[in-house]
Amino acid sequence: MTANRLRQLGLGAVLGCAAASPLAAKDIVWARYGDIDTLDPHRATSTLSLQVWSLIYDTLLATDATGAPVPNLAESWEVSEDGLRYTFHLAEGVMCHDGTPLDANDVKYTVERAFDAQNPSVTQASWGPITAAEAVDPLTVKLTLSSPFVALIPFLADSFSSILCDTNAEAEGFGTSAAIGSGPWMLDSWTKGDRIVLSRNPAYVNHGKLAENPGAPYMDRLVVTTVPEPQTRLAGLKTGAIQIAEPPLDDVPALQESGELKIAIAENTGQNVFWEFALHRAPFDDQRVREAVARATDVDTALMLIYGDLSIPEQCPISRGVFGNDQEFCAAHRAQYDPEAAKALLAEAGGWGPDNPLEVNMLVWTGGKRDRLAEVFQAQLAEVGIKANIQMMDIGTMNARVRQENETPDGIGSMDMMTWSWYDPDILYALWHSPGAYRGYTSPELDAMLEKTRVLADPDERKAAVEDVMAYLLDKSIHVPLYTPGWEWVFAVRPEVEGFHVAPFVYPVFNDVKF
Amino acid sequence: MLSYLSKRLAMGLATILVATVAVTLLIHLVPGDPVQIMYAQSQGTTPEQLEEIRARLGLDQPIAVQYVQYLGRLLQGDMGVTIRGQQPVADLLMARLPNTLLLAFSAMAIAVAIGLPAGFWAASRRGTWVDSAVMMTAIAGVSIPHFWLGLVLMFWFAVDLGWLPVAGGGPLALVLPAMTLGLSNAAIVARMTRSSMIDVMEQDFVRTANAKGLPKAMVQSRHVLRSGLIPVVTMMGLQFTYMMGGAIVVENIFAWNGIGRLAIEAIFQRDYPVIQGFILVFATTVVVVMFLLDLVYALLDPRIRRS
Repeated sequence: MTANRLRQLGLGAVLGCAAASPLAAKDIVWARYGDIDTLDPHRATSTLSLQVWSLIYDTLLATDATGAPVPNLAESWEVSEDGLRYTFHLAEGVMCHDGTPLDANDVKYTVERAFDAQNPSVTQASWGPITAAEAVDPLTVKLTLSSPFVALIPFLADSFSSILCDTNAEAEGFGTSAAIGSGPWMLDSWTKGDRIVLSRNPAYVNHGKLAENPGAPYMDRLVVTTVPEPQTRLAGLKTGAIQIAEPPLDDVPALQESGELKIAIAENTGQNVFWEFALHRAPFDDQRVREAVARATDVDTALMLIYGDLSIPEQCPISRGVFGNDQEFCAAHRAQYDPEAAKALLAEAGGWGPDNPLEVNMLVWTGGKRDRLAEVFQAQLAEVGIKANIQMMDIGTMNARVRQENETPDGIGSMDMMTWSWYDPDILYALWHSPGAYRGYTSPELDAMLEKTRVLADPDERKAAVEDVMAYLLDKSIHVPLYTPGWEWVFAVRPEVEGFHVAPFVYPVFNDVKF
Repeated sequence: MLSYLSKRLAMGLATILVATVAVTLLIHLVPGDPVQIMYAQSQGTTPEQLEEIRARLGLDQPIAVQYVQYLGRLLQGDMGVTIRGQQPVADLLMARLPNTLLLAFSAMAIAVAIGLPAGFWAASRRGTWVDSAVMMTAIAGVSIPHFWLGLVLMFWFAVDLGWLPVAGGGPLALVLPAMTLGLSNAAIVARMTRSSMIDVMEQDFVRTANAKGLPKAMVQSRHVLRSGLIPVVTMMGLQFTYMMGGAIVVENIFAWNGIGRLAIEAIFQRDYPVIQGFILVFATTVVVVMFLLDLVYALLDPRIRRS
C-alpha cells in the first residue's frame, strides 16, 4: 500500500517534472541577467522590459540599421507646417493577437492611456505635448500637439510607444498575465523572475522592422529566461539549454578563438559612456582642469586593454545611431589625448603635477568590467598629476551621489563615468537643460540652444542646432565622451543558430532565427 | 508548557515588528530613491514630473508617515504594489516563497543526512583516523564558499557529465542548488554533532550506563544520541534561517526563482514595498521555524516540558 502510494507519488513527480519544464527541443531560449518589470509599456522604462515589449507589440515607426526612423505600422505620415499636427496612415490588414484588426482606435487608445489623468505613462514626457489623438477613419490617426516637438518621430519608433490593442482594456491581468499586441510574438505566460514564454504570431506581417523574414517568425516558441549569474548562462550555452545569452565578458576572447559559440555585438546602441564633473565647485569649475582630464584619458588604449574589439571610442555626446552623431565634427571639438598638454593645464590651473597631485573622487557604476577600465583611467590620470579615488557603486546609488555632489558647495573634486542611452539628441536636453538631470551645469546660453533642438522640424536645421549644443559641451569639456557601447551589448549565440541579430538601441530580433 | 509557548509567540511577533521597522528606516538611509533609479540612464523626464510621480506613490511623505500608512494597509491584508511595474507584492512573494522553502528544506535534509551520522561516527571513534578524516573534510566543507562550490558542481554535473540541468525550475534542477547549500551546512552539522556527543559521552549518566553493563549500541542510541541531539536541534534552527539567507547566493547562481533573488533586485531598485514585504515574510518564516523548534525542543527535553 505504502509502496504503491510511493510509486504513484514518484510517477506524479515525473509527470510534474515534465509539465514544469516545458522546454521543447526546438524552442529558442534567450537568457538575460534580469527580468522585465511589467508587460505594460506605460509602467516601466528598463531596457530589459523594452526588449520584450518589442517582441510582443509593434510600433507606428521602426528604425533602419543606422537608427533612423522608417515607416512600419504607419505606412506614411504628414506633419503640418506649424509642427503641431501629425497624421499617420496605417497599414491595412494588421491583426492583433486576439484576432481583432489593429486600427486607428487602437492608436488612439494607446495615446490616451499614456496621458491618462489619474495614471499616465511613466514616459509621458517623452511623447511630447500631445493634447489630442483622433481616429479620422479606421486607417488614419491624427495627433495634435500644443507646441512643436520633433523628438516625437524617433520616439514612435521606440518600444516606449508600443501600440496596445484596445481590447487590453477589458483583458484581465493586462501587464502581468495578458498583453495583446500585434508584434511577431504572442504572450503564452510570464512567471515573474523566471521566464516569459512567447509563441509565434502566425498572422504577423513585417512592415518595417529590421528583419529579412517578411512574415511570422520561423521558430514556434521563444522563451526569455532570467539567469543572473554570467557563468551559469555560459554553462547553459555550452549544454545547449540556452541558445542566446550575454556571456561573461572575460570569456569572450576564448569563445571567439575556439569558435565554440558565435559572438554578436550590438551596433548603434545609442549608449554613451562619458566623464562629467561636479561643476559648481573647485577644481572642476575650472575648464582647464576638466580639459586636463579629457587630455589625460587615452580611450583607445584603455578600451583595447579591457574590451579588445568589443567596444569603440565615441567622440560625440550622443552616440552612433542617434540623429546628429558625427565623429569628425565632434573630434574637432573634443579635447584629444595629449598628456603633455594635460600637465601644462594642471600646472597653470593650480600648480598641480605628478609630484603635487590633485586629489579627486571618481564614481563608477559596477559591472561590465568598468572597475578594471576605471583602474586604467586612474593610472593615466596619475601620470599627469591627478590622484583619482575610484568609488564603485550600483547605478541607483551613483545617480543619487552625482546629484548630491552637484548640490554640495565644498569637498574634494568629484568626477564620474556616467552612462546614458537614448534614441534622440533630446537626451542632451534631459541632461544639460536647467536644472539638469543631476542639477549639474546650467547656463541660459546652453538652455536656449537646447530648446532650439526640440522645435526645428527641418532635419538640416535641427542637425546644425544639435551640433551647436555638442560643440558647446565639448569645447568646455562639460560632457567628455569616452566610448560606446558599454553595457549588455555582447551576445553569445550557439553555433547552430542562424539569423540572430540586434537592431539599433539593443533590440534583439528573432524573426529570422532558425536552427 | 503553555505559558512557555505563549511567551515565545509574543516574542516572535515583537521580533517581526522590530525587523520591519528597522528595515524601513535602513532602506531609506541608502542614497537614491526608486523613482530616480527607474528613470536612470534612459529618460527625458523633467524633475517636476519626477516629483509628481513621487507624490503619487506617497514617497514625498516623511518616513514615519509612510511606515504608519504601510502598517495600516498591512492590517487590512494589503502589502501594496511594486513601484516598478505596479504589481501586487503579496502575489510576487507568495509565488516565490515556496521555492526558497523547498530549497532550504532540501538543503537541510542533505545537511542532516550527511552531517548527523558523520558527526556521530567521528565522536564514537574519537581520536582515531576516522575522527580526523571526518573533521578535516568538515573544515574543508565549511571553508568552501557557496559561490565556488555551486559553479564547480554545475560545470561537473551539468556541463561535463550532462546529468542535471544547469539552472531553472523543477525537481531535477533542485538537486544542484540543494547540494551546494546542503554540503557546506553538512560540515557544520557534523562538527556540532561531534562536539555535542563527546560532551555527553563524558557525563556521569553515560558512565553509569556503561558500568551497569548496557550494550554499547544501547548506550549510544538511548542515552548519548538523545541528549546529544538537543543542542544540535537548536543549532539546526539557526542553521535553517542562515540557509534561507544563504539561499540568496545559491538562487542567483542556479537561477532558482526564490524570494532571495527578488529581494536583491528590489534592494537595487529601492522598491520599498517589495523590500518591506520580503522582510515581513522572511522574519515571519524565521519566527515560525524557531517556534516549531521550540516545540521539538520541548518534546526532546522533559525538563522544558515540565517547566
